[in-house]
Amino acid sequence: MADLDPSKKVADRYLKREVLGEGTYGVVYKAIDTQTGQTVAIKKIRLGKQKEGVNFTALREIKLLKELKDSNIIELIDAFPHKGNLHLVFEFMETDLEAVIRDRNIFLSPADIKSYLQMTLKGLAYCHKKWVLHRDMKPNNLLIGSNGQLKLADFGLARIFGSPDRRFTHQVFARWYRAPELLFGTKQYGSAVDVWAAACIFAELLLRRPFLQGSSDIDQLGKIFAAFGTPTPSQWPDMLYLPDYVEFQYVPAPPLRSLFPMASDDTLDLLSKMFAYDPKSRITIQQALEHRYFTSAPLPTDPSKLPRPTSKREPTNTNSRVLDLNSNDGPTVLSPPRKSRRVMPDREAFEGNAYRADRLDDHVNEVRELAAGNTSKNEAVPMSLDFSVFGGKPPNRPTINSADRSHLKRKLDLEFQQ
Amino acid sequence: MAANFWTSSHYKQLLDQEEVDVVQSLDKDRGITLEDFKLIKMHMANYILKLAQNVKVRQRVVATAITYMRRVYTRKSMTEYDPRLVTPTCLYLASKAEESTVQARLLVFYIKKIQSDEKYKYEIKHILEMEMKILEALDYYLVVFHPYRALSQLLQDAGLNDINMTQLTWGLVNDTYKMDLILIHPPYLIALACIYIASVLREKDTTAWFEELHVDMNVVKNISIEILDFYENHRTITEERIISALGKLPLKS
Repeated sequence: MADLDPSKKVADRYLKREVLGEGTYGVVYKAIDTQTGQTVAIKKIRLGKQKEGVNFTALREIKLLKELKDSNIIELIDAFPHKGNLHLVFEFMETDLEAVIRDRNIFLSPADIKSYLQMTLKGLAYCHKKWVLHRDMKPNNLLIGSNGQLKLADFGLARIFGSPDRRFTHQVFARWYRAPELLFGTKQYGSAVDVWAAACIFAELLLRRPFLQGSSDIDQLGKIFAAFGTPTPSQWPDMLYLPDYVEFQYVPAPPLRSLFPMASDDTLDLLSKMFAYDPKSRITIQQALEHRYFTSAPLPTDPSKLPRPTSKREPTNTNSRVLDLNSNDGPTVLSPPRKSRRVMPDREAFEGNAYRADRLDDHVNEVRELAAGNTSKNEAVPMSLDFSVFGGKPPNRPTINSADRSHLKRKLDLEFQQ
Repeated sequence: MAANFWTSSHYKQLLDQEEVDVVQSLDKDRGITLEDFKLIKMHMANYILKLAQNVKVRQRVVATAITYMRRVYTRKSMTEYDPRLVTPTCLYLASKAEESTVQARLLVFYIKKIQSDEKYKYEIKHILEMEMKILEALDYYLVVFHPYRALSQLLQDAGLNDINMTQLTWGLVNDTYKMDLILIHPPYLIALACIYIASVLREKDTTAWFEELHVDMNVVKNISIEILDFYENHRTITEERIISALGKLPLKS
């Protein structure tokens, strides 16, 4: 597929290198920009079969990325037509946050987590300042460059917002990152949906696995309510009027500490504000960045010193990853499945590693123990709590419905499997 | 769209009148004058509107399409980029960029329906080829701001948002797309100029309101005069003059 002849330049400027991956709307390959010497990733947009010209999703991404220039947002360096196809040139990114989270050889300190979250929120704050909703926040859309800088990518679902009456589809985000108002079918939403997704990513950094792994929209709500308690109308007055609102059996909220036993008080405070049910009272990205979590010790790690996956990219990985995107229930663990596990020394000193150990099957017990140990009241965790919230079984990918499929159509994209 | 205009590519790309009024040398060689150039662009803006009424898209899409078309001709010649193809393609591209896609085959169907002239006849494949060339000519900048949003906010602020004033100013804004104003001035100033004209026309006293806005009233007045000049000249534009201008375009190959 790839033209590996190094003497061949594309658009008189780019030296093609190996293919990085194949997605539903085109091939991504590595290249050298001969004008700058920079390594870049070139996304070739295949023309649609339906004779509809430049792919709609790609166009959306071009439109927004041309307006968004920020150190925490992927840079669209260039675009050019070549042999009838449109090519987009992006800065080359080494890895993504999902690979970092899943790599069992990486230990993330509280300062590292703070740094990754801060960069995520800075990128989002910039988008929101420009009235752009990302709408597809998840760890594998957060790319990490060679200098450790984290950048938001994949703006294929993003939209400009601002008209209060503008109606949007609620079928956005991978399900696990979807805010409750979206799950209840709201068509009028704002930047708070990105805040919820960022909170899910925050939780995922702490837990080292997706936090709320629903298998359907209803199940997703169930997982959310099991974690934070069923929202009451006084907590979230508008909830009752949402199009797909259904009443759930009342479940009280377990103490947040029981879900994140190792987290600091500041961590829990910020997390709870980002996970506020009512989008109107949910903290904004800007407020979150000003939260004391970011100014209290430990300070965020310098991006260049952040731990990153060391393993080299293997073609087999690429294939499995791409397949994974198109299957309903592929594995989600990207690192080799049974690496020698290490028990972290002095794990109490750190947040975020509570569940990194051992077999997945042990998680439930582990959570029980931790919860019990931390709440002192042994029965503090209500029995009605669905423990599958805590990853009691190997996580499945969310099943793919028609809306997800349209999202997957142009999936791939900048996932350079390292 | 409420996105921030001052940090947008649209703001950075605003041009001076002199930069917009440049007839490309290839076009000059064919005897196309500045007046012809303006007439053809106006005619094509009308063509976009006619097509849009058939395929049924929002006013915003029309406005964006016309802006694309006008931007293209600040950089490309009509000789190389036939306006009769560029125009429907801009509508096609704008419909995608504004999130209300129109299918290419529908567009081609209506082109055939409303234009019997052979010179307008283009097929899907021509539109798709031209789409790529237009994207390149636009340097892939697709976000465009329009006066409509500012208009309704300003009318409300001035307490002039009755049906009469709304319709009049809205119509005035629509007509500004027959000119190059959108390439030259920030959209809210175009909106203000339309409110200014309408309030003079309807004898509404808006002096105090305008003073409180802290905008450069000279600019607003200049835009208003340009709009009024356009209406003045518009009466003298005959079908023959448009046909004669279009006649200078090369026949399609």
